[in-house]
This record gives sequence, C-alpha cells and structure tokens, in this order.
Amino acid sequence: MVSLIFAILFYLATILLLGGIAIKIWNYAKTPAPLKIPTMPAPRNGRGVFFRLLREVIFFESLFKSNKWIWLFSYMFHLALLLVLLRHLRYFTQPVWWWVEIIQPFGIYAGFAMTMGLIALLLRRIFIKRIKYISNLSDYLMLLLLLLIAASGLAMKFVSHTDIIAVKAYMLGLLSLQIKELPLSPILLTHLLSVILLMIIFPISKLLHGVGIFFSPTRNQIDNSREKRHLADWAKKLENNNFEREGGRNG
Amino acid sequence: MRVLLGALLIFIFFANSLIAEDNFPLIPKATGKPHPEGNEFIRINHMDLLRHDRDLVVKEGIRNIDNSLAQCVTCHVVRDENNEPVTYESEEYFCRVCHDYVAVKLDCFTCHNSVPSAEVSISLFRDENAPFERLMAYLEEKDNDR
Repeated sequence: MVSLIFAILFYLATILLLGGIAIKIWNYAKTPAPLKIPTMPAPRNGRGVFFRLLREVIFFESLFKSNKWIWLFSYMFHLALLLVLLRHLRYFTQPVWWWVEIIQPFGIYAGFAMTMGLIALLLRRIFIKRIKYISNLSDYLMLLLLLLIAASGLAMKFVSHTDIIAVKAYMLGLLSLQIKELPLSPILLTHLLSVILLMIIFPISKLLHGVGIFFSPTRNQIDNSREKRHLADWAKKLENNNFEREGGRNG
Repeated sequence: MRVLLGALLIFIFFANSLIAEDNFPLIPKATGKPHPEGNEFIRINHMDLLRHDRDLVVKEGIRNIDNSLAQCVTCHVVRDENNEPVTYESEEYFCRVCHDYVAVKLDCFTCHNSVPSAEVSISLFRDENAPFERLMAYLEEKDNDR
C-alpha cells in the first residue's frame, strides 16, 4: 500500500516538475524585454554573453562580487548538492556508470558540506537583521525542507540503515512502470516524501532561479544599443500605429 | 485531478503487465543455519557488525571466532562449475552481487581471504597428526613458490 502511494506520488511529482518547468520556460521566453538593461560592463557580442552566463552558472559570479560570505556558503551548498544528486544516480542506473562509482565516497563528504552550507544560510536569515526583515515564511521553509532531505539522507548512512538493494529495485521498477516493495523505514519514507515535496514546489517557487538566470535581461543582453536599436515586437507595432495616427510626424 | 489520477493508475497497472522485467539482483543461497538476528537485520547492518568486530579484535584484542569474517565467507561461499570456491574477483561472488548493484566498494578482501580458509590454513593447525611437520612442509612450499 505504502509502495503504491509513493509510486503515485513520484509519478505525479515528476509530471508536475517537468511540466511546470516547461510551462515556466515557455512563459519566460515569451515575456518581452522592452528595455536594454544589461548590467554594465556588459559583453559586446553574443559570444561574450554566452561566457557571462556560463560564469554565472558555474561560479555564481554576481553573488561573488556582491557578498563573499553568502557566496561561500551558497557555493558550498550548490556544489555539494550537485555531487549528492550525481551520487544518487546509482539508484537509477543498472549497471552503475563508472564515474558514478568513482564519486561515491566524495558524495558522502558532500552530504555534510551541503548540510553545513544550508545551516549557515539559515543562520544568516535568522541573525542578520536586514535579511531577517526581508525573509518570508517560504524562505525559511525552503531551507528547512532541504535540511530535512540532507539530514534524513545522512541519518540513513550513519544512524539507521535501510535496505538500499530494495530501494534501488523500487526505483528501477518505477522507471519500468512496475511497483516493487519499498522498505518501510520511517527515515527513508521521510527522505522520499520531502524530495517529492521539493519536486512539486520547484516550478512554483524561487527554487526556479536555476532556470530564471538564463532569462535575466540584466545578464543575457548584449551591450549594443548604439549599433542596433532595441525594439520589442509589441513596441514596434505600437510605434507604427502612432506614426500613422499622428499623420506622419517625421515625414 | 481525479481523472488524471485514474488515468495514471490504469496506465501503471497495464504497463506493469506489459513489462515483466525483473531488476532485483540474484542473491546466491548460503549454506548453514540462518542468522539468529534475522536475515533482514544482517542485510541492513552487516557493515556495522563487521566494523565493530574489527575494533574489538584490532584495538582490544578480543577474538570471537563465532562471528568472524572467515565464518561469513564459509557459509556464503559460491562455487564455480568445477566446484571450486570463487574469489571476490568474480562478479558472482556473494558480496559482490549486491555491492556491485548499488556501487558500494568492497574492500575487506584486499587484506582478508575471500574463500573458506578451512581448506588451507586452519586445517593445518587443527590437524592432530604431526602439526609441526605439516607446518614446516607448508612453509617450505611457500618458500619454493617465491
């Protein structure tokens, strides 16, 4: 029964995650950028913008320039999360890819780094007055949810083990549309349930910043306002209408 | 929402009957009595038990022969077509079936013997008849091998 409920939740969460992200990307792509507002100094061509976004995604360049402490903990968390996610590929691939096998031990250290980064980011929200002032309930809950995922994961490694053979069989089962028995360990079910929750809220929360960064006008625009006039399609249409209505002011 | 859920359920059950591929590892059968703590307990906690035993033996010098790695590999021996025990270098080795499945490194046997040792060393000293001579013969043999 529990296995069936979790299977349904996993399928539902996957649909909501992928569908949600697709819809958000569609919306972002359609949203007009009426003004030329790249943060200066900005790249003068497309290649430069490509590298600017690359640096942003790989090194969090803007954050590094603005605040070294937040950058340190944020980078620690994100990099560790990436490693932990890659480590979890062992539950979804059979046979396990060689490079996933190699990163297994590093993924364990990453679990701790991720937790420390999250705790530091939480403390920042609690103890720095101006950050506390602008923090919403969801800001705290997001951090607590990620902390719950990390803590329950580490607990399965170091406190109370679970039958990971059965877990992998269950996950491979889900991938081939079969429902296998899931071990009824409370820590495992907490871990999975919090991950499902994270998948569901991802497309409708600020967690979407990972996608949004590519659509930020201040980051993805080229500094070529002198060479090429920036005109959104809808603005162009308006401009022609005005031109006709005013009886050819310029002509 | 209800329609979506219903469609999902029907889809899952139909797909379930269509794809009957079993992805659970084939765990070799062991000889001897089942674990008194229960097999499920050992399956989940064997790594801690082994680590605990290692601390007892190496740091405190308490040897409990009843629960030794040697006993593990004796009951959980996997034999090849010639009825010879396979070592941990074989993918069919008992521990490796699961360890490979979830990419957990198996490093016990870089030092420890992975096949039942009864046939080699322990019998050497348990042999009532002329243990000393057998030991010398064994050492000589080892010497010649080198």
